[in-house]
Amino acid sequence: MKDSFLYPIVFMLIMVVLFTGILAVMFRFSEEKIRTYEDDTYQKKILSTMVTQIAEATEQSPDEIIAAYPESFEQYVQQLKPDGFERKVYQAVVDSAVVAYCFEIKGNGLWGSMSALVSTSTDFRTILNFAIVNQQETPGLGARIEEDWFLSQFQNIVFVVNPESTEDVTQSYEFISESQKPENDRQLKRVTGATITSDSVIKMLRAEFNYIYDYVRSKEL
Amino acid sequence: MTKKDIFINATFKDNSIWRQILGICSALAVTNLMLNSLIMGLGVTFTLIMANMTISLIRNWTPRSVRMMVQVLIIAAYVIIVDIFLKANMPLISKQLGPYVGLIITNCILMGRAEAFASKNKVFDSFVDGVGSGLGYTIVLLGISFVRELFGFGSFFGFKVLGSWWTNWSIMVMAPSAFFLLAMLIWGVNTYYYKVKA
Repeated sequence: MKDSFLYPIVFMLIMVVLFTGILAVMFRFSEEKIRTYEDDTYQKKILSTMVTQIAEATEQSPDEIIAAYPESFEQYVQQLKPDGFERKVYQAVVDSAVVAYCFEIKGNGLWGSMSALVSTSTDFRTILNFAIVNQQETPGLGARIEEDWFLSQFQNIVFVVNPESTEDVTQSYEFISESQKPENDRQLKRVTGATITSDSVIKMLRAEFNYIYDYVRSKEL
Repeated sequence: MTKKDIFINATFKDNSIWRQILGICSALAVTNLMLNSLIMGLGVTFTLIMANMTISLIRNWTPRSVRMMVQVLIIAAYVIIVDIFLKANMPLISKQLGPYVGLIITNCILMGRAEAFASKNKVFDSFVDGVGSGLGYTIVLLGISFVRELFGFGSFFGFKVLGSWWTNWSIMVMAPSAFFLLAMLIWGVNTYYYKVKA
């Protein structure tokens, strides 16, 4: 029977249906859990990029605010939908006053696209906090841009130095080796073995801040 | 062959990496951190065990002409199961491993063991072979990553063990160091374990 013409076709068909079925059932049962986790992670990241400003305005500790998720997210964070602005943008509001903005920005890494959340001061000039949402870089190399020491370099830096410029509003930075100590505030440490990914992060920030400034120069968020 | 022989053969004597030179890509790519190596090793071991057992279970009904397609289908299905399971239950580990979970499908050890062992042997023997091959692979990954992480980051499983006096060797973090270390491991095993003469 195994040597007949039809047997291999029928056998293969049965195997494909069987395994596709198992995968489909497993995915259906896990889908909700995966989506909930992804949504929670995303919202927690938005909250944490603006948590210092919320904490200062509400006189709470950042840890308390994070621990109070999802109530704290609903209480302080609002999504904005400005006309013609093609990025997701959120604002942190305390007592009807905006204390920070958070943008989802996109760019290209070495192996694929990446996206990040960047929170800014209300004049959009200072980066308050920075977090990677998605990246497809090499684990152990480029993927290390998600490590705290790399991301914390972007905390509280004045990134926009030429707000009136129509060409480039941003500050230029120089990357130094991971083991070196920065000599001034325009030097940032790159991830060892991931020069292109480190450069891509800066490139993404510069392009996106120019895009944001293009918009806010003519319209309000 | 006894179960013990099968296990020792798969783990040491016929180790997939140092003897059969299979699974080299991942051995080079993920071994700059021990945690990544351990997770990769566990993923490959689980897939090896499940794929070996399934392929062995259906070996008497599998036509020769489509056997490799069936093997790829089974391996791919188990890798996707691992991926879905990690995403749903261990999302942080899933994120850390990133694209490497999907790349288990392309790990030659899986096809190698399916074709060389599971398609010709009983289910329990195939299970033992899967455990042994996976363990052998994991041991090599952990061995290489121990050296790379220690010299490259001064740490062990992410915990700093070398003080601030230590200067990290950047070369150890990058892929070329894995080539040197793997070559040295194969040379050492050939010389001292297999007693191969030049």
